[in-house]
Amino acid sequence: MTTLKIENPVIEVEDLRFFYGESRALHGIDLKFPEKRVTALIGPSGCGKSTLLRCFNRMNDLVDGSRVEGQVLLDGENIYDRNTDIIELRRKVGMVFQKSNPFPKSIYENVIYGLRIAGENDKALFDERVETSLKGAALWDEVKDRLNESALGLSGGQMQRLCIARAIAVNPKVILMDEPCSALDPKSTARVEELIGELRENFTIIIVTHNMQQAARVSDLTAFLFEGNLIEFGVTEQLFVKPQNKQTEDYITGRFG
Amino acid sequence: MNQAFRKKIKRNDRIARWVITVGGMAIIFSVIFILVLIAKVSLPLFLPPDAELHASTRMPRVENIRAVGMDEYLETGYVIDASGTIRFFNVKDGAPLDQELLSGAGGNRSLLAVETYGRLNHVLRWSDGSLTIDQVKFRPYFDAENDNRRSILHRVESLASFPVPATGPGVQTLARVGGEGRQVRIDLYSDNRLLVQLIEVSENFLGEEEVTEAEHQLAFDTAGDVSALVLSSDGTRLYAGTKQGELLRWDLSDSEEPTLLEKIQAFADRREITVLNLVYGDVSLAVGDSTGQVTTWFPVRDDSGVWKLTRIHDLSRHSAPVAAISPSPRDKSVISFSSEGLLVDHMTSERSLLSLGRKDRLQLYSMTTRGNAIMGLTDDGRLQSWKLEIPHPEVSLGTLFGKVWYEGYDEPVYAWQSSAATDDYEPKLSLTPLIFGTLKGTFYAMLLAVPLAIFGAIYTSQFARPRLRALIKPAVEVMAAIPTVIIGFLAALWLAPLIERSLGSLFLSLVLVPAALMISILAWQGARKIEPLRRLERGFEFLAVAPVVILAMAIAAGLGPGLEQTFFAGDLKQWLFTEMGTRYDPRNCIIIAFAMGFAVIPIVFTIAEDSLSNVPSSLKAASLALGASRWQTVWRVILPSASPGIFAGTMIGFGRAVGETMIVLMATGNTAIMDLSIFNGMRPLSANIAVEIPEAPVDGSLYRTLFLSAVILFVMTFIVNTVAEIVRQRLRAKYGRF
Repeated sequence: MTTLKIENPVIEVEDLRFFYGESRALHGIDLKFPEKRVTALIGPSGCGKSTLLRCFNRMNDLVDGSRVEGQVLLDGENIYDRNTDIIELRRKVGMVFQKSNPFPKSIYENVIYGLRIAGENDKALFDERVETSLKGAALWDEVKDRLNESALGLSGGQMQRLCIARAIAVNPKVILMDEPCSALDPKSTARVEELIGELRENFTIIIVTHNMQQAARVSDLTAFLFEGNLIEFGVTEQLFVKPQNKQTEDYITGRFG
Repeated sequence: MNQAFRKKIKRNDRIARWVITVGGMAIIFSVIFILVLIAKVSLPLFLPPDAELHASTRMPRVENIRAVGMDEYLETGYVIDASGTIRFFNVKDGAPLDQELLSGAGGNRSLLAVETYGRLNHVLRWSDGSLTIDQVKFRPYFDAENDNRRSILHRVESLASFPVPATGPGVQTLARVGGEGRQVRIDLYSDNRLLVQLIEVSENFLGEEEVTEAEHQLAFDTAGDVSALVLSSDGTRLYAGTKQGELLRWDLSDSEEPTLLEKIQAFADRREITVLNLVYGDVSLAVGDSTGQVTTWFPVRDDSGVWKLTRIHDLSRHSAPVAAISPSPRDKSVISFSSEGLLVDHMTSERSLLSLGRKDRLQLYSMTTRGNAIMGLTDDGRLQSWKLEIPHPEVSLGTLFGKVWYEGYDEPVYAWQSSAATDDYEPKLSLTPLIFGTLKGTFYAMLLAVPLAIFGAIYTSQFARPRLRALIKPAVEVMAAIPTVIIGFLAALWLAPLIERSLGSLFLSLVLVPAALMISILAWQGARKIEPLRRLERGFEFLAVAPVVILAMAIAAGLGPGLEQTFFAGDLKQWLFTEMGTRYDPRNCIIIAFAMGFAVIPIVFTIAEDSLSNVPSSLKAASLALGASRWQTVWRVILPSASPGIFAGTMIGFGRAVGETMIVLMATGNTAIMDLSIFNGMRPLSANIAVEIPEAPVDGSLYRTLFLSAVILFVMTFIVNTVAEIVRQRLRAKYGRF
């Protein structure tokens, strides 16, 4: 296992262990995520990469009987501390899900949902955020004339970009993406990948993907997980071209997974 | 896949499609069939009345007919002529049967006029000024030896005779013989004097008959001469109308002292009152005037408590002065007669029922004792009889839904009172209080059930642990399986007395329970810092809430009596009555809210819970990931998405409450009142049908009205369900589709 020198880590994971009831899903992960970079988490199904991702905004709290040990530091503060405000945490760490999940509301209302639940009521701010977020998600030109129509009328790719717009509208530090393109056609996937490239200028992005080409295309760093352990973590090009670990090599060359 | 197997699949598909289609159509068809069946029974209520010419005959060699009549089987008719002879004849062909001389006839007296009242009682005025009252009686006789053939036997019974008063006969005379040996004769003289002669036969304490005779001159002062007179059939009330439109009313029940009760100017335009008569039951006075208008009046107590004759109903208007008015001997119908012919109206419903004999120029007429036929004498001597088909004269849309001024009431009311102990009672069949009762009961039940069920569903589906949910849901669904008769029974016999005893505690708990919850939530902010307690927040909140609520209720129960003692003079119910003017019925809407709410909760809960649970968890996750609290997520995402289902559940619950019968039957008190007060009961449509249908004569007005109320119930639930479905579709189009 290599040790990579990370400058300005936004999220530091220290000896993170995660349990679903009695079964252990993560066996002590240590990782650092650099600021304004795209980090990909790859690995075969059930390796714990989604679980790890969901630890960063404590979405795993919703799972009955789950338990976390170890630390996840966001800007140096442990998010599993008893005094952590989960709501504040989730405003800093946004998330985009595998299946696009816009609310059954208008496009406009979808984007400002995060602001509304924070008690924001300023119409001018809403208008401005809707525009910047949709532009940021490369959706503005397509929907600017029908902001008040239901979000459910959009295409799959548009919906996913709307979800990204919704996530960036609250100005998070980190955006977690859980296989954001797995349900999209190749064209929409290309749009979203392009978008991720643009978003890295402003956000720290952690993306879980099954698709190694995608990881290679969009990420700066890649972490390979296997059976709840971090096997290898490195600069994407190196990891794919010259994997240090046998298991990594087997996986990226398609011998299993 | 081989060919045969594929064929089999296709065949099964086809069969399934047919079975499903046939089943669905059968359901739709049977629902429509039931509706048609019910509607068909109620429909005759609205059919127009009909009169059919039954016979038109002539009695040869009979002149100067003073009265006609007929039996209720429309077989035997009779005429009374000026000689005092009553001649019976066959109605169909006019063949004479037999004849006899009436008791008053004889000597050289001739019959001048006949007045008929009640059941074919004829007051005969003879040329010498004496009066006799004879009653014609018909009786069907079934001849056992002759194949049970029916024949109508008739006889004439002499009831009373009144000699000429010492002052000579009046220009108008009246006589009645009451049921208790009371005989009254009234003579009106041309100088506007009224003479009353009374004979009362009573029994003294030794069982001997005592005869009291009395004679009074009635003093009164009117602008016009008396033009019309009528005496109630028991001889206790005398009414007079004048040529200047005045009405006078005397009480003759005290034979020693007849009193003038009132004199009113009935018509401001001083039109002449041409004829008076009393509607069946002797309460309402029917007044015919020179303009041809027929009105009915009865005494109503005014603000100062004085009974005053009041114009209640305006019936048909003739184009000629009204010449005669006679009541139907069976119901509150009024027959009025002018040169234009006969008009039949129903007083209470103000329905104009029939117009008869317009072209026949009738001179005399009479109705059978069953009110099913009218016989009339035309000016060319024909005896016409009509068979009447007026099955439901008292029913009209106005009486079914509007306010009706019933006899003896102080004002028009919505009333349901279908039966009483007396024969001359008129049924009050207003459906409005029943519809009101249905809606009221439903409203209070929903008021309790809907918030409880929906909040319960939200908690169970969104906050409770899945294991707990697996317990709660079936438990609530079992509630729905409890027979409503048991709920009604418990509500009526256990809950009603309990709440009546502890009304103060109930209201106190309405304040104490929310207050205790508020305080405990504040306290929780401190307590949640302790780790084991904090775990309760994740799905076991109810464990913390339950003791608080129970404690608050216990305190309320303990303090309730003291509260009543201190602030409500020891009895809240009495205080409500004296201070708030609200009567407390032991079976009231509080009971209904609990009992019917109990029956409705499972339905609303189950459907709402299902739809809440079916909101995709991805939406919940999206909301939470954006930093929404659990409550914000429920309020802003889950509830709107589940709203079609919650709405549907509420409406189905509503439909259930509208149609619920057993609980309301047992726990409402079944009083058909229109009062929104939560302390009063009500009588809903469904319970009304259950209560009254066993006693309703088949095809009678009540019977058909009950079927009509069933149609209304049906339509109400149909509308509710349709609206619910439309709204649900709309909501689903807006929030659904995920």
